[in-house]
Amino acid sequence: MRAREPDLVGETDRDGVPIHYEVFGSGQTTLLMMGTFPVVDGHQWKAQVPYLARHFRVVTVDPRGNGRSGRPAGPAAYSDDVNAADALAVLHASGTDSAFLVALCSGIKWSLLVAERAPGRVRGIVAIAPGVHPLAPHPDPIQPVDHPDWAGDWEGWVAYHSGVLLPEPHSSKAYDDLVGWSLQTDLATITARTHAPLRPTEEQEAADLVRRLDLPMLVIHGTEDRCQPLERGRRLAELTGARFVVVEGGGHLPHARHPVLVNTKIKEFVHMTTVATSATATAAATATANAPVAVEGGAPWLFARDRKRRALWVCSPIGLGHVLRDLAIAHSLRERVPDLQIEWLAQSPVSDVVRAHGEIVHPASAELASESAHWESEAERHELHAFHALRRMDEILCANYMLFDDVVRETSYDLWVGDEAWDVDHFLHENPERKTAPYAFLTDVVGFLPVDAEHDLREVELTTDYNAEMIEHRERFPYVRDRSLFIGDLAELPDASLGRGLPTVRGWTERWFSTVPYVVPFDPSAYRRPAALRRELGYGTGYPLYVAAVGGTAVGRDLLELTAEAFALVRADEPDARLVMVTGPRIDPDELPDVEGMDKRGYVDGLFAHLAAADAAIVQGGLSTTMELVAARRPFVYFPLAHHWEQQHFVAHRLDHYGAGHRMDYRTTSPRDLAEAMRTARQSRPSYRPIRRGGADRAADQLASVLTGAR
Amino acid sequence: MRDAGTCGTLDSVRARQPDRCGYAVRSGVRLYYEVFGDGPTTIVLLPPWSIVYSRIWKLQVPYFARHARVVVYDPRGNGRSDRPGNPSAYDDGELVADAVAVLDAVGVEDAVVVGLSVGARVLLALVAEHPERVSGAVFVGAHLLLTDRPNPLEATFEQERESYEDWGRWNAHSWRRDLAGFAEFFFGQAFPEPHSTRLVEEGTSWALETDAETLVATGSPRRRVLSPAEATSFAAKVRCPALVLHGDADRITPLSDGVALARALGAPLEVVTGGGHCVNARHPVWFNARVRRFVDEVSARARP
Repeated sequence: MRAREPDLVGETDRDGVPIHYEVFGSGQTTLLMMGTFPVVDGHQWKAQVPYLARHFRVVTVDPRGNGRSGRPAGPAAYSDDVNAADALAVLHASGTDSAFLVALCSGIKWSLLVAERAPGRVRGIVAIAPGVHPLAPHPDPIQPVDHPDWAGDWEGWVAYHSGVLLPEPHSSKAYDDLVGWSLQTDLATITARTHAPLRPTEEQEAADLVRRLDLPMLVIHGTEDRCQPLERGRRLAELTGARFVVVEGGGHLPHARHPVLVNTKIKEFVHMTTVATSATATAAATATANAPVAVEGGAPWLFARDRKRRALWVCSPIGLGHVLRDLAIAHSLRERVPDLQIEWLAQSPVSDVVRAHGEIVHPASAELASESAHWESEAERHELHAFHALRRMDEILCANYMLFDDVVRETSYDLWVGDEAWDVDHFLHENPERKTAPYAFLTDVVGFLPVDAEHDLREVELTTDYNAEMIEHRERFPYVRDRSLFIGDLAELPDASLGRGLPTVRGWTERWFSTVPYVVPFDPSAYRRPAALRRELGYGTGYPLYVAAVGGTAVGRDLLELTAEAFALVRADEPDARLVMVTGPRIDPDELPDVEGMDKRGYVDGLFAHLAAADAAIVQGGLSTTMELVAARRPFVYFPLAHHWEQQHFVAHRLDHYGAGHRMDYRTTSPRDLAEAMRTARQSRPSYRPIRRGGADRAADQLASVLTGAR
Repeated sequence: MRDAGTCGTLDSVRARQPDRCGYAVRSGVRLYYEVFGDGPTTIVLLPPWSIVYSRIWKLQVPYFARHARVVVYDPRGNGRSDRPGNPSAYDDGELVADAVAVLDAVGVEDAVVVGLSVGARVLLALVAEHPERVSGAVFVGAHLLLTDRPNPLEATFEQERESYEDWGRWNAHSWRRDLAGFAEFFFGQAFPEPHSTRLVEEGTSWALETDAETLVATGSPRRRVLSPAEATSFAAKVRCPALVLHGDADRITPLSDGVALARALGAPLEVVTGGGHCVNARHPVWFNARVRRFVDEVSARARP
């Protein structure tokens, strides 16, 4: 899923060739994200668009030859001049009087040609890895697609070309993206562009053009760029007096591989070049003489000693488990630091839950790109390849990190807490200079383990690469996290290897985390008398009561359907049995079948009380719900999502550690099997290993010590 | 008057010594200036009221000088500048002409100019009357009125009393009798923030660099200052980028004056919550970073 959908999608016809563009946001200043050599479409800017659209109006273009734009035949149709005319047509079609042009590689030449044709419409150029080829002349180091070595092997060339552009380690996702976009076009199109007429052609001509245009410019260039030599960027910067940002070790695509840096540089450049003059602002000020004067940059600067203590709590929305433990920890933390104001940066359904508990939800939360919708889009038939889903969530993670980055620069916090805030954690390690407050990271899962190590070698390779990156991050920048808390005891972690040549999950966690006992968000002793609970909750006693629940996302729909069928069979043997089915906030109960004796409900507050009142529970393999059942000592059957690394490896291992639950597999379980398991579970008497107490308090001690200096 | 033979003030230790110093002379009055650094942009930090002199910018100079050429000068009436004794020598028109004289003497064509308190009033007139000399203007704790507001202190300035308490100390006789006592009171008002003892002591010591008679001339109601009508018409003439910075706990010039100025200029206002009159001195890191960003923005616009 995309992090941000366009507000408007348009197409402009250029002599029969459609040029596709998209518009995001509505700021006064427009940024036109230019096309480039057509191995990509407008999605190449996916890590820029959501952030820049918070501050500016952003227009992206699919270059002719890729995406949803046309693919005319022959080199003449792909000349530099034609591409520049396309961009100008998009400016016109989108109703844009003037814009900053943000461009990569060949797109810089096209930007210059746009400015040459329509000088007033270009306010400045962001030139990333500029491909103004006559400057700093240099033989093209990349083999063209029609080089004899490739002999028409289009896919082979795409793999080669994509690899050359991304020399940085841990670039597998950017590489996969680039290959995918390249394969949207074909050999003939790329061959045509390769032989298209270029302009300018001479070094002097290029230099004259650049000087004559005299545009504000920002040049960003990687030292390991194998497509455009660094010297070319330097020359362009010299000619224009541009700010020259050199990305040491960066390849040809810094906007994809180093998005936080590139995003903040673009924003800074555009702001600097558009500083309001008094003259233009005076008229507006006079017109609204009685309106409050806008304070630039949001909140005023507040004298440090007058600031109240504030924490920003970033809570992952995947499953509702994190929020309940976070609320429990927050509660304990406030007992230790009474003047602490906690603000939650969280999206639905987490934000709804914290709001219901009277907590402060930071208003920027409304702008978070939806993770839940992404996970649901990745799941089907009780299967969710969680690692791939997380990996494909790169655009959303970057967008949400950038929002966080804005929030913490507008307000100063004494502590950032990230409960499995993968976005914050990853990008802070990639950009450690952006850490401006103590930061505590909490998690109940450490590292990725392949779910099909025998057959899926690509998955093995990728999880190893991601784990290696995590290890490098921590070892190189330990100061990024002031506290690293693993929720649970070390024995609750599998002792599996993080990959070839890497340490084990448990060994590495022992080195890099403090452990706190598993956090149960309620006092379990209050939930261990099912009969009393049943009376309290209005269920009454004297009949078998089953409860089924599938967490906070819609991924569990298939399991609920299976459970409904199984329950119909249970009723045949136990005619007075009842089933309470809790669908969660994202599944409409009306979409599930009706079965005699089955009561469907959406969200239920205090779900654990209902689970604890059950004779047996049916749940998926989410950690929080299963561990609540362990705490309440109720029998249950659970179905880890297929291909979900955390549920398959981490949760199952932890439940084994506690001797709890009957694990089942959705794919091999018939309604009859489940009915049988439900009846067996109901008659069992669990004797689980007890959960150590005080998890929330121990976690709060750790967080409080950051705030108060206590040891 | 101090020895004019060497650069720098008598303070033995400074974070950065000037690279150049000298005097601009206007109608026989010598104005001591200092130049630091050689960056592409020039920043001129105007002196405020002569109760202090250029050292009021001591927390700005070393930082700005790393990135720009910085010019400061002592106002007539304090520091190493001359001290004419006649109130009319301290008319706003004279102070504006001093600023121009220093720019000329140093060879500054145009600069980002920062004015604090009275200096902000000088800056407004400077930018309105000599727009070519100011590429960007920063108004800090601006001491200037855009609407008429009677100042009861002016009427009693020369009345002799038995004792002088609080703002009753704003009085020529009080200054003559106990300049240090007044200065301590005044800087207590200028720095209302807790933990500002060093600033109050230092401000008081700068006040004692001049003498009561000179200070009386600089505060006399007989000198001519910019009227609200003039200030309003000047503000409408400002075309360069501008920025207004003001503390909301400013006891010398209320925040509402800064708000009115920002509105008249159509310039952004940034408020320091809990900040007093001299946010540059009490909140230097924030101030330096904010002004540097403004200078960078102005330089980006002015890029050839």
